[in-house]
Amino acid sequence: MGNLWSVQSAIKYLGGTSIISSDPEKVLQSPFLILPGVGSFHKAMVTLRETGLNQAIIEAVRKKGSKILGICLGMQLLGSYGTEDGDTEGLSLIPNRVDKFTSQEVKNNKIPHIGFNGVEVNQRKGLFLNLSVKTDFYFVHSYKMLKENLNGRIGICNYGIDFLAAFEFENVCGTQFHPEKSQTNGLLLLNNFLS
Amino acid sequence: MLKKRVIFTLLYDNGSFMLSRNFRLQKVGDLAWLEKNYNFSRVAFSIDELIVLDVSRGERNIDRFCENLKALTKGCFVPIAAGGGIRSLQHAFALLRSGADKIVINTPLFNDSSLILDIASKFGQQCVVASIDAKLISNSDYEIFAENGSKNIGKLNKWFEKISEYAIGELYLNSIDRDGTGQGYDLCMLSHIPQTLSVPIILAGGAGNFHHLAEGLSDPRVDAVATAHLFNFVGDGLEVARRKLLEVQKFNLATWDHPRDIERRGISCN
Repeated sequence: MGNLWSVQSAIKYLGGTSIISSDPEKVLQSPFLILPGVGSFHKAMVTLRETGLNQAIIEAVRKKGSKILGICLGMQLLGSYGTEDGDTEGLSLIPNRVDKFTSQEVKNNKIPHIGFNGVEVNQRKGLFLNLSVKTDFYFVHSYKMLKENLNGRIGICNYGIDFLAAFEFENVCGTQFHPEKSQTNGLLLLNNFLS
Repeated sequence: MLKKRVIFTLLYDNGSFMLSRNFRLQKVGDLAWLEKNYNFSRVAFSIDELIVLDVSRGERNIDRFCENLKALTKGCFVPIAAGGGIRSLQHAFALLRSGADKIVINTPLFNDSSLILDIASKFGQQCVVASIDAKLISNSDYEIFAENGSKNIGKLNKWFEKISEYAIGELYLNSIDRDGTGQGYDLCMLSHIPQTLSVPIILAGGAGNFHHLAEGLSDPRVDAVATAHLFNFVGDGLEVARRKLLEVQKFNLATWDHPRDIERRGISCN
């Protein structure tokens, strides 16, 4: 998918190497994992379970200390629970649940939320090193997590309602936006993730 | 707050990139030319989005287009939409595997709406950009032309109503009369958009300088402005235009540093 191709070309631009794999063994051997997302929350979780990737990801992150970055639906999959395309449990690496934007929440805005929007970070360290307090990133999504009760570094975006745009706690990172589609702002963030 | 967008459209025909004026094409050069004379990788850091359209008048070579798309998008970190001659899900999939995030659909809007539904259910509604080429016929009466502007499809108003029911993510609205003329956008077309059509609007056709981009962005009905004119924004033209839109006109556009400025700050990003 476009998503995978551009994530890979961004890593290459930053001087890194990457492989695209659905093999649990490869996942267990990788110090850095990026989980993109295509399709719905439900379909993606079913695929992760069928291939045994869900266990491999959790083991790599929890036992081996591999760093993971979930992008867009990939970040949502790190959550505890999703409602898209049927209620489904997520990987629960982030404790919060994923729900659809309601028209009430977004006020006069259109759903899906598509385009560049500003993200405010609570710390300019780690994943957010060298970024401004408010930085523009590219979003395409109709579902979101909220920031309630989360520890760690947090990026918030407002689209009628404040929602979780980026997250980092220990070795678990996620971005609701697409860093690979966000010009140098995204390249900086990916560079931070990889260093 | 959601930002407005400045989009660059590249027109492709059988290995070459083209200039179009009222839909008549003129060859400019191939990918190597584009990089050498136009410094495309630099231009790519001055836009919010890229659209690449295969406007080949003869038979399309999909594989070759995909190869060009891959090469073009390698150093391009913005959303990319591609299209031109899409007639099947496989064709759409080929472009999505070659760097595209969205698929631009034109002719099937009028004769094969099931393809739109197929693409939307497989890749999501946000993946479909409906492209309409319209022409002023008389007193604010517009008609749509499909198949590279060669076939009259009927009235714009009538089709707008229909298209608003389709599973589309965005609408790319292009003026055949203004295309490549550099006379400015045709804002009158916008008054035909029905209330029921709530997707973001990309306005195209006619931008010749930064004032035209500003005029388009000022219109509350417009979410993005596009230009396909390689020469009106030659050299650092697009970079300068973007800076003026941001700094002088205070438009609500996204900002980021150019890679060279990041390097100057001593951060290695390459």
